[in-house]
Amino acid sequence: MSYFEECLTSGGLRFQEERRALYKYLLEINNDFYVSQANLLLDKGIITRSIANGEATYFLKNRKVDYSARKLGSDEIYTELRDIKLTRLRFYNIRKLQRFFAQCDVDVISNFPLPGPNPQEESGYGFNANPFYTVAYYANGQNLFVGLIKKIKTTDREMLTKLRAL
Amino acid sequence: MPITIPKPNLLIPKVPSVLVAGLLVAQFLFFQVGHGPEPKCTLNVERPHYSTSLKEKKNIDAIKLNMTVTCSVPQKYSEIASSIQKIDNNRETLAHRFQVIRRVPEIKSSNLVVIQDLYKECLFGVWSTYKGEAKGFAMLESGKKYPLEADSGKYMAADCSIGAQ
Repeated sequence: MSYFEECLTSGGLRFQEERRALYKYLLEINNDFYVSQANLLLDKGIITRSIANGEATYFLKNRKVDYSARKLGSDEIYTELRDIKLTRLRFYNIRKLQRFFAQCDVDVISNFPLPGPNPQEESGYGFNANPFYTVAYYANGQNLFVGLIKKIKTTDREMLTKLRAL
Repeated sequence: MPITIPKPNLLIPKVPSVLVAGLLVAQFLFFQVGHGPEPKCTLNVERPHYSTSLKEKKNIDAIKLNMTVTCSVPQKYSEIASSIQKIDNNRETLAHRFQVIRRVPEIKSSNLVVIQDLYKECLFGVWSTYKGEAKGFAMLESGKKYPLEADSGKYMAADCSIGAQ
């Protein structure tokens, strides 16, 4: 089993560092896919897709995108989990949505991983209040300038190398 | 010829009974909704401990922090900023600050949020004493924010040190 496959299974994502590296990796490998998904969402207003053992539905309303998620085969739907505001510029919105999709994919994988040898302990649906693409995530309650420096310094090189090795 | 003066029937109500019943219901609803018990939430922070399950499953040494938020009414989610403090050279220092997390409760038990996914790697074999602290709020279904703050109480020793790598 590759490290990427391990991340998709239960107990694979315990630490922030692992989740952040997975976010960067998903952004890297799904670049074109996220662009086509963003275009679809901007045109149709709704898209649904599944990842790991979960399914996310994205809604566009009044220049705001949010998503709901559920475990595959379950009726229990968690709604309005995370949102992002869009602008009037389509190309900029697509860039914003790429990052949003990668973040939400990590959320869904963390909450609905594929069944593995380690049973899932958590209940409900949890995620970082500050998404990985914001300086606020790196600042973590501190000064935003400190966050910006941390963002520049954080490369996650080691974990990304592990993820890229198939 | 005898004259009969009709007796007033005091048992016949002057106000229609439907109106009386309506007023009673309105009064009951007013006191139930307007002056009902205030919602209450409690944040319980457990003592940080060495995670034996993570050692067994992934061979990683880590300190784990568990928390629960229990409310008397359904909540949409709880948002919590938490940290682990440790005693270093007889001084209380910050060992680790976790990311601010938001957790939506299970739909079937929406009064309770359980947080069990906070880990920080540590160096096994070095003793340290830890305390957990947390602050945040519960967003109630009514839209009201309920502030939360708590700690795990006394410092607890563990044979694994955060920040000693």
